[in-house]
Amino acid sequence: MVTHEEILKIARLAKLSVAPEELDSLTKDMNSIIEFADAVNSVAAEDSDFDNSNSLSNVFREDKVVPSYDREEILKNAPNQEDGYFLVRRRM
Amino acid sequence: MNYELICGLETHVELSTKTKIFCSCSTEFGGEPNTHCCPICIGLPGTLPKLNKAVVEYAVMAGLATNCEISPVSKMDRKNYVYPDLPKAYQISQYDMPLCKSGWVGLSNGRRIRLNRIHIEEDAGKLVHDRGNTFVDYNRGGVPLIEIVTEPDLRSIEEVQEYVEKLQMILRYIGVSDCKMQEGSLRCDVNVSVRPVGQEEFGTRAEIKNMNSLAYMAKAIAYEFDRQVDLIQSGEEVVQETRRFDEGSGCTEGMRGKEDADDYRYFREPDLVAILVSDEMRKSIQKQMPEDPQKRLTRFVSDFDLPEADARLLIEHRRIADYFETAAKGAKNPRAVANCILGQMFARLGTEAEKEQFEVAVTPEQLHELILLLDSGKIRMNLVKSTLEKMLDTGKPAKEFLSEQDLAGMSADDLKAVCEKAVAENEAAAADYLAGKEKALKAILGSVMKATRGRANPQEAEKLLADIIRR
Ligand SMILES: [Zn+2]
Repeated sequence: MVTHEEILKIARLAKLSVAPEELDSLTKDMNSIIEFADAVNSVAAEDSDFDNSNSLSNVFREDKVVPSYDREEILKNAPNQEDGYFLVRRRM
Repeated sequence: MNYELICGLETHVELSTKTKIFCSCSTEFGGEPNTHCCPICIGLPGTLPKLNKAVVEYAVMAGLATNCEISPVSKMDRKNYVYPDLPKAYQISQYDMPLCKSGWVGLSNGRRIRLNRIHIEEDAGKLVHDRGNTFVDYNRGGVPLIEIVTEPDLRSIEEVQEYVEKLQMILRYIGVSDCKMQEGSLRCDVNVSVRPVGQEEFGTRAEIKNMNSLAYMAKAIAYEFDRQVDLIQSGEEVVQETRRFDEGSGCTEGMRGKEDADDYRYFREPDLVAILVSDEMRKSIQKQMPEDPQKRLTRFVSDFDLPEADARLLIEHRRIADYFETAAKGAKNPRAVANCILGQMFARLGTEAEKEQFEVAVTPEQLHELILLLDSGKIRMNLVKSTLEKMLDTGKPAKEFLSEQDLAGMSADDLKAVCEKAVAENEAAAADYLAGKEKALKAILGSVMKATRGRANPQEAEKLLADIIRR
């Protein structure tokens, strides 16, 4: 069973803030997700230590340069930018 | 009590592929910020990574060159952490199924430093901190890296330095990276712990992050060794933590706010498929690799009769080794070829970078021709040197600078005449020689060599002189 503390730790790692009133419902949701994963695990294939389930492998790209995007395009959606850089402002 | 240093290294090496690991942007160093970027390498939602084949090949080459097993099956994983240098908030890396495993790198003292693994991953962007603000350049984001992880086998600062230099030599040689520490294309995290000499069990280790100079690395390890020994001797404990080396003070300091840093919540990268390296693929990659530098060194010493120190200098850069081999092949005096390169040519190349490029005006074929003249006895070493000097200045072949007279050598009659004259002019020395002073002959030989401007064969002249005196 997942505990409140674990939910808070995961939230901290993901830089999310969780209000105290959300904690119960989030914990319940997380438990049902893990139960589902456990159910999948219990019927997992036995004869392979590596589950290459999509049975695809070695999808490669050749090492050939394609021109990059214009910088304006790259920076277009940045909340802050300066001198061609993405700008992350000082955190409070 | 005496303490022993225990080090393990995690070395990040940027591969010199043309494009990034998951997109077709250029990997070129420098460039205006954010001009080598596309939606994939700035992590926009909805984009899909596509693995660069050359990255797998280069990493397999690195594995083969360091005696690793190449995994027939491997995969990519997500390593989650939130930091501005990583736009997706995860790095695509390899966790439990790395491409290469269980290798080693040999040191000159005979010890083998075991490699736990080599895996492939993407580099992060570059951050410039300025007055609390952070400026982010993603040109480096997505540049392919290999991470080479040793077992805790290194026992001294000298071993650490030799290991890194060896790794640089190997990786440059096979052409997978330029390994420039000052440009950040080779960076080390150093795990340091100490234990009382004789104790089996390892102490608690601290990890010093992101070292990009061998000199600083030596300072950081020395400082960390003293710090940990002091802690233990005063009854305190070494804390397992990540530390940063401060170049100004020469100290290491703990990094704050890293308590959750090791909780990366790895899971399989769902956007990429498995990597299978078949025997066939491994063999074909092996075929593309140049000769192992260590083997080449041994061969240079035995085939070309070179002193090991000279062979080592020639081997260090592949271009020089190739140049030497072309010029020395079939020559009777391979040592003279080596001396030309290590003496006169190196004198014109100031920096290591210039040596690595090895741009000299003389082709290896031209040097070979010059040495053949030495082999056949037509000219002597002093003439080889002065001619080579002119060739290096102009790029013209040896023949341009050697007169008929230079190449004619000396006829037996001419030599005899010079020797007779020399004996007549050095009566006292001749008498000394007859009285049993072997060395006296050398003085007369000296005047013969001077009179012939070095064109005489000294062995022949010496024999002739002795005959004349005894007559
Ligand atoms: Zn890109």
